[in-house]
Amino acid sequence: MERTASIASQRHSRRRLRLSHDWAWLLAFVIPAFLVVVVVQFYPLAYSLFLSVQDWTLTKSQQPEGFVGLTNFTKVLGDSVFRRAVRNSLYISGGAVGVELFLGISLAYLTLGSRWSMRVVRTILILPMVIAPVAAGTMWRMLLNSRAGLFNYLLNFVGIQGPKWLASPDWALVAVILLDIWQWTPFVLVVVAAGAAGIPDELLESAAIDGASRWQAFQKVELPLLTPVLLLTAMFRLLESLLSLDSVYSLTFGGPGYATYTLTFFIYTLGLQNFNFGRAAAASWLFMAVAAGVIALVFWLHRRSDIS
Amino acid sequence: MRSERNNAVRVVTDDLRQGRITRRQFMGRMVAAGVGLSAINAILAACAAVEAPADPSAVSTGSQDAAAEAPSLAGSEITATYMQSGTYDVAAETLKPTFESDTGITVNLVAAPFTVLVQRNITDLTTQTGEFDVMSLSLWEASAFQHLQPLDDLVARDGFGEDYIPALWAPGGSVFYGGQRVGVPYSADAYGVLYRSDLFEEAGVTADWETWDDLLAVAETLKGKLPDNVAPIVFSFGAPEQSTAIFYGAYPGTYVTAENTWAVERDLGAKALEVVQRVADYGPSDALALSIDEANAVFLQGKAAMIICWPSFIRAAADNPEQSAVVGKWQMGSFPGPGFIFLSAWNLAISKYSKNIEAAWEWIKAYTNPQNGKDFMTTYGIGSPFASTYEDAELLQMHSHDFPQQKANLNRTKGVALTFAAFEIQFRNMGEMMTGALTPTEVIERWHEGWAELTVPQALIELAEAQGQKAS
Repeated sequence: MERTASIASQRHSRRRLRLSHDWAWLLAFVIPAFLVVVVVQFYPLAYSLFLSVQDWTLTKSQQPEGFVGLTNFTKVLGDSVFRRAVRNSLYISGGAVGVELFLGISLAYLTLGSRWSMRVVRTILILPMVIAPVAAGTMWRMLLNSRAGLFNYLLNFVGIQGPKWLASPDWALVAVILLDIWQWTPFVLVVVAAGAAGIPDELLESAAIDGASRWQAFQKVELPLLTPVLLLTAMFRLLESLLSLDSVYSLTFGGPGYATYTLTFFIYTLGLQNFNFGRAAAASWLFMAVAAGVIALVFWLHRRSDIS
Repeated sequence: MRSERNNAVRVVTDDLRQGRITRRQFMGRMVAAGVGLSAINAILAACAAVEAPADPSAVSTGSQDAAAEAPSLAGSEITATYMQSGTYDVAAETLKPTFESDTGITVNLVAAPFTVLVQRNITDLTTQTGEFDVMSLSLWEASAFQHLQPLDDLVARDGFGEDYIPALWAPGGSVFYGGQRVGVPYSADAYGVLYRSDLFEEAGVTADWETWDDLLAVAETLKGKLPDNVAPIVFSFGAPEQSTAIFYGAYPGTYVTAENTWAVERDLGAKALEVVQRVADYGPSDALALSIDEANAVFLQGKAAMIICWPSFIRAAADNPEQSAVVGKWQMGSFPGPGFIFLSAWNLAISKYSKNIEAAWEWIKAYTNPQNGKDFMTTYGIGSPFASTYEDAELLQMHSHDFPQQKANLNRTKGVALTFAAFEIQFRNMGEMMTGALTPTEVIERWHEGWAELTVPQALIELAEAQGQKAS
């Protein structure tokens, strides 16, 4: 009995020793990574939160000039330009991502397969994604030139009088959405193609044996399996699209007037052109709230799709 | 190459001996020809031995001071910023080797696109970093002018500043703070109207307008007489900030109040905004969509009888048969009033926090002088701020159709005393008006609402006062 107790005690102390030994290693690995995360992520976030309640315009003072409570937030929220920027961003991102998902899925299924011709087509289709957004914006500016641009030339060719793309507030918004769709549909294509390739053939064969048509197999088998991937893709694209600045900058410069002035354009101008760091930080936090809302929505949809 | 340089040296030395050029001009041309400072001094000494120094004061030129100070500055290092445009920055790169070998001063050049340059300049100044000794800047950095080194003493000591077009040497063309000069201009362009002399002659109209109403009357006459595919006026309404040039050209009032806030005089402002709208009525079908390049292309293709533009962006192409259908058919007309002519001027300034102010000043003098004004204009298209460029016999032969008017326009220019934040409120709401979303009166309301949130920097209050744009 005593011997048994002593063996148990020895085992216990050995486990404790191993645990303490493991803890040291664990901490040695985790602490540097933890510090990097704190320094790289949390410090800037915390500092920007600090700035959002400070009065600080760099051109007036080298340092923050004092606590102003929620004034920066109320000023930003009360600014009609900010509200319009939010609306524009939601129109652009919502419109573009919806079409991108539809087109991306369609193109992915149209180009499925490992034949060389399909591989060539897929390669060509993903080319827009690798063009720098600033260059893409500049290129589209030329394409949409209502006088000498390719778009209106082609429309004219089929007897349609093309719109004044960049001079009209509505068409300028459409132009920004079209650019986003052109550039980022390939991303959806790539993800969906990879997801579809991963669906076991047996499932589709079973559906076929059960008499399902190709459309039914897609609708009842593939789409549910692809839904988690599609939701994640939608989330990435929504965030990316909301954050986009360079393409709008080079295509419309936010105009005409404020017609394509987006949230990121608003924050960029406030912070990096007017140097109003306090208000720009407040606007950034409001932007984060919008982005967090989008993420929450996607996760909610994800959970619902899991349950169903 | 070497023989060309020797010839150039011979010609310039002869000019100096025969009194056709001053010692300062001699120095400038020799440096431009790539001759070292020591060699220049030797030639000057030789010339001085031949010609008795009739004017003792002439011995103490700024350039010679530079030569005398060169040894003490050798080994120092400065950093200068330029806009990455393929012009100002390339000109600086070209000048750098000669300057470094002549003075022993090392120059680091930092070129950045416009918006990045403004950000870097302002950040460097307001944080008092002193990373940049010499800065290329304009009125957009006005909120940081208090951090610039006053240059009055250096200018007076070296007799710098002769030959500048007066309006460009004054506040607006030059940057000032606290009544002191803090920058010297090295490039300037004034908004202008180019017109097709052949089409005007055919239509029986003349370019003798004084006001926008006069110009629009000419446009109305042209409208009835021009072919369908030629518009009376083209302007870059698609570049949203540009339409302010027409507004200020038509606006004779003040826009800084006695209380040092921004506000325009409502009636005058509304009338000027109506002028902007009326100009668009005489444009091509896509008038509101045209960027600067696109508007220029319309004129170059012969599809407009007039263009309201930055001349430096179109001049070279308009005279080049490969790029233009209007070679020999265009002239520059007066910019209409009763407002002022929108100016674009770049200055070189020295940071207060520079540790090499003398070396920085040497670079400024080497970059900014009448000889380089002419050379940079002919080589890179940089608008010269010096009167002699526009009076140069050789250049006048080629530019009789635009240089005299360009010089006159430059002398009527003023700077716009707005920060970017205030300017953005102005041009974006004008953009809204051009799309029909706002009336001129509503635009002015929007300006005043937006401007009420902003503070006018001291440098711009002084500028508005100096240019007669501040209410008393």
